[in-house]
Amino acid sequence: MSLLELRHVCKRSTRGGGRSRLVLDDATMSIDAGELVAVWGLRGSGRTMLRVATGIDAPDAGSVHFDGRDLRTHGERILGREIGYCQSTPRGAPGQAAIEEVIVGLLVNGVSPSDARARAHEVLARVEGGSLGARRLSELDRDERVRLAIAHALALEPRLLVIDEPVAGVELHQRDAILLLLRSLADEQGLAVLISVGDLTGLSGADQAFTLGDGELRGSPKPELAPVLELRPAIGLRASG
Amino acid sequence: MGEGVNRAVNRTRVAAPMHSSVNWALLGLIIERPSYAYELAQRFERTYGSALSLSSVSHAYTALGTLKDRELIEELPGTRGGRQPKPHYRATGKGLTDYHERLIGEVAEERKRQQVFLLQLTALTRDPGKAMQIIGDYEQACLTETCTTGIATGGGDPASAADPSRALQARLIAEEKRLAIAAKISWARYARSELKALAAARANGRGSGAQANGQTGGQRPSAQTGERADERGSQR
Repeated sequence: MSLLELRHVCKRSTRGGGRSRLVLDDATMSIDAGELVAVWGLRGSGRTMLRVATGIDAPDAGSVHFDGRDLRTHGERILGREIGYCQSTPRGAPGQAAIEEVIVGLLVNGVSPSDARARAHEVLARVEGGSLGARRLSELDRDERVRLAIAHALALEPRLLVIDEPVAGVELHQRDAILLLLRSLADEQGLAVLISVGDLTGLSGADQAFTLGDGELRGSPKPELAPVLELRPAIGLRASG
Repeated sequence: MGEGVNRAVNRTRVAAPMHSSVNWALLGLIIERPSYAYELAQRFERTYGSALSLSSVSHAYTALGTLKDRELIEELPGTRGGRQPKPHYRATGKGLTDYHERLIGEVAEERKRQQVFLLQLTALTRDPGKAMQIIGDYEQACLTETCTTGIATGGGDPASAADPSRALQARLIAEEKRLAIAAKISWARYARSELKALAAARANGRGSGAQANGQTGGQRPSAQTGERADERGSQR
């Protein structure tokens, strides 16, 4: 049994003026623990798909199962705990320290303040964002915001990490560092990672790659694990995190 | 007389364009760093791996002979001495110029190969259903290929640190591969949207091609994405 399964899912998305369009038409896919899965879709269809896959939005037809449980009935308990949905826009005030963003997420989930602080340091270090903690949210670059969002979601130890466009607007030389981080979360922690990408080059290195258009989800059969190449010379590049 | 024939054969060989990818690759390695045959053969294996291969070290000697005959390389003075002479070779001015031209020429060659492939594929458009299936499989193959394209990363690898030019080379290859596959996937989507429209038009008993697709003016799908331009604009 896969960790996440979409079974014959249909979903229409309603836009301004009451017009709706078919985003998912009989879509079926599955994600296992330790897999990085990337979906490329236009006009926000990737995001809609992620919302359905995480149980935020219910499908019009078909079903979504997480570890065998139907998200339609168990979604509230699973989302936020077992499924970490990354919000790349921080919720805190612009002047707030980045680490507070992670701490607050833990506090509202009943973690004690001291444990929350220790855990926040731990996850920021994991995403190579240790130096971000003390910085103000308004000072963060796009890639740093993505790292912070991942840390925020990781703090609650999810089994599935979901991110909408983690590399959109990220500088070219930071793009691969973000993809590598996601790859390492899948490889080293056994997390299932599901991302949407707006640029087809963001599909590289995934275990499964899909394109989404006109409701049709077209995917690669599961190949062997993708290689990770150590390529970039450190000279002249900003250290990540 | 034998020598005369050899010279004539040599002249003919030198006048004809050099097609051997191995010869060009070897010239590239010499341009990168002048060296001797055995070291070049080793570097060749490391650099080109499964993409190109030398049948043996003597293949490298033969290729060096050709490059020398064509005046693309020359022996470095003072490297033939000692008990085990190792003549080193460096590129000549002509070698540099020809290598540059060869690289630029590759763009046209690649375009030609792609054009032949597309012509073969579009020969199937008489049966849009079949063509769509093939293009769908083509897209699937591209998606599989994109999965196996590695993520290029920052530093840390001792081999890359020792030889930054190799790291850069690997990175350039990975990025080119990613961009090329992305373009192919975009094209497959575009082709499928055209074929879908063609199939629909035929089902409705209308004509064929762009006219049948009803794609005129601003409604023509973008060549890049297969999506209509107005829809792309509101992507995010």
